[in-house]
Amino acid sequence: MRKVNLLPDLQLRLKTLISLIFFSIFLISGNSLLANISDEEDNSASEHQIHEDLQRGERFFKGLLPKDRKFETCVSCHTLHESDSLNWNPSAMDIALKYSGKDFTDFQSAVMEPNGKKMEASHKDFKIEVEDLKKVKMYLDQLAVTGPPPPGPTINMIIIFVLLGLLMTFSVLDLIFFHKIKYRFISVIILLITLGIQVYMIAEAAIGLGRSPGYAPNQPIKFSHKIHAGDNRIDCKYCHHLAEYSKSAGIPAMELCMNCHVLVREGSHSGKFEIAKVVEANETKKPVEWIRLHNLPDHVFFSHAQHVGIAKVDCKKCHGAVQEMGIMKQSSDLSMGWCINCHRQTKVNFKDNAYYDKYLKLHEDLKSGKLDTVRAVNIGANDCMRCHY
Amino acid sequence: MKTYWRSIEELDNPKELRRAEVREEAKQKSMLMKGDSDLNGSSRRDFLKTFGFGIAAASIVASCKRPIDKAIPYLVKPAEITPGTANYYASSFFEGNEYGSVAVKVRDGRPIKIEGNALSSISQGATSARVQASVLNLYDDARFKNPSKSGSEITWEKADKEIIAQLSELKSQGGKVVLLSSTIISPSTREIIRKFTEKQTNTEWIQYDPVSASGIILANLTSFGKNLPDSQAAIIPDYRFNKAKVVVSFGADFLGTWLSPVEYTKGYTAARNLQDGRKEMLRHYQFESGLTLSGSNADVRFPIKPSEEGAIVLALYNAIARAKGAQVLSGVQSSVDISELAADLLENTKQSIVISGSNDVNIQLLINGINQLLGNYGQTIGLDTPLLTKQGIDEKTDRLLVDLKAGNIKALLVWNANPVFDHPKGAEFADAIKKTGLSISFSERKDETTAVCQYILPEPNYLESWNDMEPKTGIFSLSQPTIAPIFNARAPQETLLKWAAIESNYRDFIQNFWKENLFPKQKESADFRLFWNSSLQNGVFEAVQESKLNYSSDGTAQAASRIKPAIAGIELVIYESIALGNGKHANNPWLQELPDPVAKISWDNFAALPVEYAEKNGLKNEDVIRVNGVELPVFIQPGQAKDTISVALGYGRQVSGKVGDKTGTNIYPMIETENGFRKYFLSSVKVDKVPEKVIHLAISQTHHSMEGRAIVREATFDEYLKKPVAGNEKESEDMANSHTLYKMPVYNGHHWGLSVDLNSCTGCGNCAIACQAENNIQVIGKEQVRNRRIMHWIRIDRYYSENPENPKVSFQPVTCQHCGNAPCENVCPVAATPHSEEGLNQMAYNRCVGTKYCVNNCPYKVRRFNWFQFVKNDKFDFASNSDLGRMVLNPDVTVRSRGVVEKCSMCVQRIQEKKQLAKLEGRAIADGEIKTACSQSCPGNAILFGDLEDPESRISKLFNDPRHYHLLEELHTLPSVGYMTKVRNSKV
Repeated sequence: MRKVNLLPDLQLRLKTLISLIFFSIFLISGNSLLANISDEEDNSASEHQIHEDLQRGERFFKGLLPKDRKFETCVSCHTLHESDSLNWNPSAMDIALKYSGKDFTDFQSAVMEPNGKKMEASHKDFKIEVEDLKKVKMYLDQLAVTGPPPPGPTINMIIIFVLLGLLMTFSVLDLIFFHKIKYRFISVIILLITLGIQVYMIAEAAIGLGRSPGYAPNQPIKFSHKIHAGDNRIDCKYCHHLAEYSKSAGIPAMELCMNCHVLVREGSHSGKFEIAKVVEANETKKPVEWIRLHNLPDHVFFSHAQHVGIAKVDCKKCHGAVQEMGIMKQSSDLSMGWCINCHRQTKVNFKDNAYYDKYLKLHEDLKSGKLDTVRAVNIGANDCMRCHY
Repeated sequence: MKTYWRSIEELDNPKELRRAEVREEAKQKSMLMKGDSDLNGSSRRDFLKTFGFGIAAASIVASCKRPIDKAIPYLVKPAEITPGTANYYASSFFEGNEYGSVAVKVRDGRPIKIEGNALSSISQGATSARVQASVLNLYDDARFKNPSKSGSEITWEKADKEIIAQLSELKSQGGKVVLLSSTIISPSTREIIRKFTEKQTNTEWIQYDPVSASGIILANLTSFGKNLPDSQAAIIPDYRFNKAKVVVSFGADFLGTWLSPVEYTKGYTAARNLQDGRKEMLRHYQFESGLTLSGSNADVRFPIKPSEEGAIVLALYNAIARAKGAQVLSGVQSSVDISELAADLLENTKQSIVISGSNDVNIQLLINGINQLLGNYGQTIGLDTPLLTKQGIDEKTDRLLVDLKAGNIKALLVWNANPVFDHPKGAEFADAIKKTGLSISFSERKDETTAVCQYILPEPNYLESWNDMEPKTGIFSLSQPTIAPIFNARAPQETLLKWAAIESNYRDFIQNFWKENLFPKQKESADFRLFWNSSLQNGVFEAVQESKLNYSSDGTAQAASRIKPAIAGIELVIYESIALGNGKHANNPWLQELPDPVAKISWDNFAALPVEYAEKNGLKNEDVIRVNGVELPVFIQPGQAKDTISVALGYGRQVSGKVGDKTGTNIYPMIETENGFRKYFLSSVKVDKVPEKVIHLAISQTHHSMEGRAIVREATFDEYLKKPVAGNEKESEDMANSHTLYKMPVYNGHHWGLSVDLNSCTGCGNCAIACQAENNIQVIGKEQVRNRRIMHWIRIDRYYSENPENPKVSFQPVTCQHCGNAPCENVCPVAATPHSEEGLNQMAYNRCVGTKYCVNNCPYKVRRFNWFQFVKNDKFDFASNSDLGRMVLNPDVTVRSRGVVEKCSMCVQRIQEKKQLAKLEGRAIADGEIKTACSQSCPGNAILFGDLEDPESRISKLFNDPRHYHLLEELHTLPSVGYMTKVRNSKV
């Protein structure tokens, strides 16, 4: 009875597995299919002309024209795609957005009569016909509307996962039907290894769900902690001045930036473009919308005051070497295990804070030598309801 | 020992009740199990499907990018705002004739919680459930978002232009304008109205209260009004229960709804407090028909018919007059023997209070006479600070209706009044308003009256506006905005100023008014700015002047002769609901779900029937009866006086919003008017049963059975005087027998605990709402309350004992007991509820998988399970189903999702906040610095939070009091919550 039942059961499992794989493939290919559809149905002559101008503008921007070019291409500084390292120059998109609503003359004077030392240096040898520059402006205006081109395909984990799945399917099919591989144990090994890797991938992904160490998004302003906290040695708590007193460390109000930037209007790396955004935000009363990096789940209560104000934990301990970060990134994974380990190790400044005077038993234990130091865990730092309530 | 029972069913047949409960539970469970397919055939395929989907989902999710969160800083950070830290602003609440001085907790620009203001002599740090819940009214979808005319939006400029033109035309024609408002206690607003009527000379201002104090006011006018202008003598005197030794109340629910319940509860419980070895206790007599909150707390309760009241008051007057050698008045004879009561009062002259809730001026005149004979005026009843929160006179509104119907009134301005709903002739009001040429409503939210008004010029919520108040003569307070107006609303004061062509905004007007009128009354500050700032910061300013009132017995004899004899037949008693008051807060889901303290019913009003009557007529709970043609569900209420039926006002709103509409029945149209006074009872009503009809009631009364164990412990005052441990002998016995194999918990620093003094708890329900606001507790609706799933973290158990015709009532707030040896903790398979170093029983929601083992193993039944997703769910369309309503959520407390267990956390967020502050300041936590939400605003000071590890703390002292005991201490659960025995002061 059992043997009879085994086959349909296996078949069913296979069916599910195969349909799953096909489903995943469909999902992926469907996405790329959709992306390829574009609207290239311009018929009238004027539209054709515009199209040509745009193309020419793009070529100039990307350095394909003029043929006898001796200067740096636009795109080499003003990149089209976002990069992992900090590119101080405004990106193509940044410029496109800034000048999309402005006249050509503004654009022309900005490009041809550079303002500020850094820009002067890089735009020094730049030569271009006015007509061609107009086309570049056209291209940028177009870019402001369409947005940056989509990045090329990258092999991500899901493709590897699907390939492993195919390999696994093949080995199963071979084991049952084809028998192409001479030694059965090879198929079994393939099956086990692929399955193992898949399980590992799933486990890794599941553990990492909601965690994002290394997360370093591009911010609306190329604000460098390296310049501010590292090179210029501004204290963290000058800007994040609530860290000692409140739950939140506080993102500095735009007016606080102006304490310095009322004078400092040109950066040694970024020129005037980025700092101008800060000034503009203050003038137009539109605060900058930063991208939030360190984001604990809603069910976690975290207080900077407890850690910075009371326990005097160094900012670097959680946020990493901020003074070296051009682009700010999340350095620790902010997982619960990471919190708890630190609580186990961190010593409490037990003697100097009168709050702890009431912890009589621990004081006795310290005196009698039963405890050498009081650590955070001893006063309940790892209780659930310290962080979850 | 006394046997306690929770309902008539349990008293009659406890076994059958338990059986019925088990059956009901089984039914609920079987409903859960039922699905589309049968259980046997689906498991393998379902498993594969789920497994396959799980893998696909995991891999897809894993490759997804995290959502992008924005962090937007201030442009210019206001100096007083610290993101992540709450600010408190003193303000004042006044709605539905209830005043409260409050401190508003504002977190990141949003008011999220109301606390009592400890600096006010009226609130004394306490609130009522209605005041607590008022913060939710700010985020109500039923509020008007824009001014409108005949249902379509209009700009303020256009509305002003049109209305000013019409008003000036009316002025030139001599057309009469009426401003109909609820009682206005704002002195500056009264000044604005005076200025407006000066400009618009043809304007009359009428104050209207749905449940007025006309009888008291006019009786006092007769008693004290000799040689004085009306305005000075038409008062409600100031009752000082803290100074009284004997209180006699005729139908006045002064602990629940009558006049100023929070203040009275504070005084009453202070006079009954037996902590620290106090050996004095107020004795409370209550004459009433339905079992009210005050009646439940009374030492001696006389169930009477409302029509008997007059004769009893007269008999009491005569008994006292006889003893005092004053003239005995002739009149009808009483059926109740009051000789002992009179003797008790005479023993405590100058230290007693006699009050009546009746709206009959004759009864009130006799009450005044009694208080005068007993020498209470100037002692327990103050005349220098009369209460101003009810100034409406019934007759004036009735005259207004006649004028409106006759077309004599050309323009009607309605402000904070809803006569279409809460006037007995509401329908006539609606028709008359529709026919009036110009009708304007200043209402904040939609109601029955706005539905018939032409212009709607919405006023902002009290948390968004400036105001000043004078709840008692000489006692002032301020309101200040705590949030920028959410909607396009404008204070009616500004509107009236504009229409009176006075160039000023209302804030400046208040400031000038205070500068001219109140600043000279004080000597502390020489500079007005200092005075203003300190008044604004404290919220209150008191400048009491001596009273010039003198009593005269004029009219008492005449009043006695007008007292009518009792009438035979069944009488209907109409009372204000504790939760909804007079119906103004009907759209507030927290209040709708707050069970009535005595009947334990939420979401409905009902006809409370006496036990005997129900038995005789074969009626049971949820049957439907017709009372004078109005269908009402039956609830059998122990203690309901013979031949009476009680029913609450405030329900049956038709236009209030998604929550309040069509819950219960509107009783206002049943009210009769006699000699110009509203009479809150009907004689000889016709009652018949509606066959085969059932109206389901959300009764939480048979929830949480404690199976008759000694959980409420009580003693009489005499026993207590002899032996303070009286009634609590079991405690030492239990503790002596307490042995355990487990290790005793050790606390290093703190051990947090709560102490509940049952002698101070009146059962008002404030703590339940305070907890709901603080801890993001969700409203679940009538159906789920019926399914016994109410989410309140603190419930107030109510037990009856002795005679069902007139039972003794005990209230007991029960929250998580935070057991040192907790039964819930060791059954959790995922360790989601462990014990903390500080004695708290913790609940980690994200760890909970919802097995509910803890719920089953908790002997106190305080754990709540989230059967559904109550937030962002159209099936639970209450406050948390809209972005606006969710603004009230406390950001420091997790919003629980479906499938997890929750329970009282002892406001751990408040503990952590104060601990952090103390550590930052490098000092020990002061005793009393941390207050849980329930203890902060308790009007009875019944709940106290503190550190049990500190031997000097207040709570440690209470835990060593002979009255202290724990719930079910024989189980050796070692709770951190303690109770103190209830003491009754009935004369034997």
